Amino acid sequence: MRPLRFALAQGLLLNEALAALRAIGVDVSGVTPGGRRLVVDGGDIELVLARPSDIATYVERGAADLAIVGKDVLLESGARVMELVDLGFGACRFVVAAPPGAMERSLDEYRHLGTLEVATKYPNVAERHFRARDIAVEIVKVAGSAEVAPLVGLADWIVDLVATGNTLRANGLAVVEEIASSTARLVANPAAYHLRRREIAPVVERLAAWAAAR
Amino acid sequence: MNQQSPIGPPRGFRDILPTEARELGVIEQTLAETFADSGFTPLHPPLLEYGAADSAKRRRMQFLDSDGSLVALRPDLTTSVARLVGGRYQDMTGVLRLSYVAPVFREEPAMSGGSREILQAGVELDAEILALLVESLERCGLPVCESTVQVGNIRLVAGLFAGLTDAARFEVIEAVRQGEIAGALSRAREAGMPLDELERAGRALTGVAGGIDGAEAAELCRVIELARERWAGRLERWGVPNPALVPALPYYTGIVFEAIHPDAGVIASGGRYDLLIGAFGTPRPAIGFAIDVLQLHRALFADAWRPRSQRPLLLLRASADERATMRCAAALRAGGMAVALGDVAERAGRAVIEAEVIDERRVKLADGRVAEARALGAEIDS
Repeated sequence: MRPLRFALAQGLLLNEALAALRAIGVDVSGVTPGGRRLVVDGGDIELVLARPSDIATYVERGAADLAIVGKDVLLESGARVMELVDLGFGACRFVVAAPPGAMERSLDEYRHLGTLEVATKYPNVAERHFRARDIAVEIVKVAGSAEVAPLVGLADWIVDLVATGNTLRANGLAVVEEIASSTARLVANPAAYHLRRREIAPVVERLAAWAAAR
Repeated sequence: MNQQSPIGPPRGFRDILPTEARELGVIEQTLAETFADSGFTPLHPPLLEYGAADSAKRRRMQFLDSDGSLVALRPDLTTSVARLVGGRYQDMTGVLRLSYVAPVFREEPAMSGGSREILQAGVELDAEILALLVESLERCGLPVCESTVQVGNIRLVAGLFAGLTDAARFEVIEAVRQGEIAGALSRAREAGMPLDELERAGRALTGVAGGIDGAEAAELCRVIELARERWAGRLERWGVPNPALVPALPYYTGIVFEAIHPDAGVIASGGRYDLLIGAFGTPRPAIGFAIDVLQLHRALFADAWRPRSQRPLLLLRASADERATMRCAAALRAGGMAVALGDVAERAGRAVIEAEVIDERRVKLADGRVAEARALGAEIDS
């Protein structure tokens, strides 16, 4: 059987994820953030670097057994994976935001047209949220910065991921409502989790202890 | 602009080509025989059931029929069987042993073979169904090793969170069902679960399998042992207790089990669902399992399995005398051979032999040997 394969999200979480793995004794010396090698031998564990949004797919389909990935990615992808430990770092929030003065106009528009336009990079999170609140919206999917959408008239509101809120403020937006908060999670493929429990359980236990001690 | 209409099947569906179809046929036949050998009777629930408004959540394919009723391509057969039993077998007490091999339709289609036992509760019967699952998989050719079959109990998971209020416990178990173990534990902490109990629950859900105790854990081990007595299996020790096993389907009430393969994922799941039939009529206890035939095929394929050898297909070259050719083909078929006149382009992985008609009773094989048509089948077997 191949060694346990552990996927790591390139980007904001990578340095802290590597620190967590180093702290529980995994050899991560072969991983260089921004480097070109994407599959690295770490002793008993093979490390794979991938884009955050691909990590959930890797784990759901069993290409990786374990991964450290943000809850935000899991919420948007809807991937069926086991979430084992809340690692606590990489905190951010999904929020609904709008220009502060636009609330009255938005509600008037909603009464007239029966729908609001919402620009977002996270259409699944946005749609689920507004459906649960029974608010009819038209989702406008954007690939880049959603925060400019209200400024240029693309949408009334946005749904975005924020850590500090500085970007929102810089673009004259205020939080209307918080949808969900997110931190990094240790996740596992369900079949691998049950089949390779003996190998995975110690990793879970040590990362849980590491997270609790922070 | 390209105006051609698409030639592939609708999204989510795929063509099953002849080689795979033949292999699936072998698997389905083996499953049907295994169920029949244990006294299960086949039934065919309808393709359509009434739909539900929350289709997005349940990934159904549904539409309005000509009366305006919302109908759905059946997403699951357990509910169909429960409806049928709850309605039609109200007055019949005792054991019903029902089985089916039929496709179900989620957003992605899946084939499903299953057997259902509708009967009184008891560990022995749990063990019988568990043993039947392993027998079914092994008769299809899948080697069942220790960790292939995982056995849990919904009551055991509920027991870990016994101190919580009903509402909080429901939320926690729902989270575990979604695989959100970290979320479930933090929800339990918020609901005021004491630290030592929280630690015990965490150990049971994420620790090394077998790290559980108490009467219900002992019952799990006993079910596995009893099941092994009923079907020893190729490897003596199959089955591991797994308190973290909570299948995605919500209707299970007691013992639950899954068969898991490293390449194909979950290939079978089952358990006890004592309350489901009551939703459609008189309540009665029930236990059963469903095998995802396509996933089982994937697992067998990954293990380099090939269907048990059939007699090769005989490609018969006709002679000038058409009547003699037809009679010769009939004689070959009477002797148990599958015969095609001329060539077959799509052989679907089947072995073929070629032969030429000599007269009504004899054929000449490719190696020049002359064979009696009626005896050729038996000759090839020996």
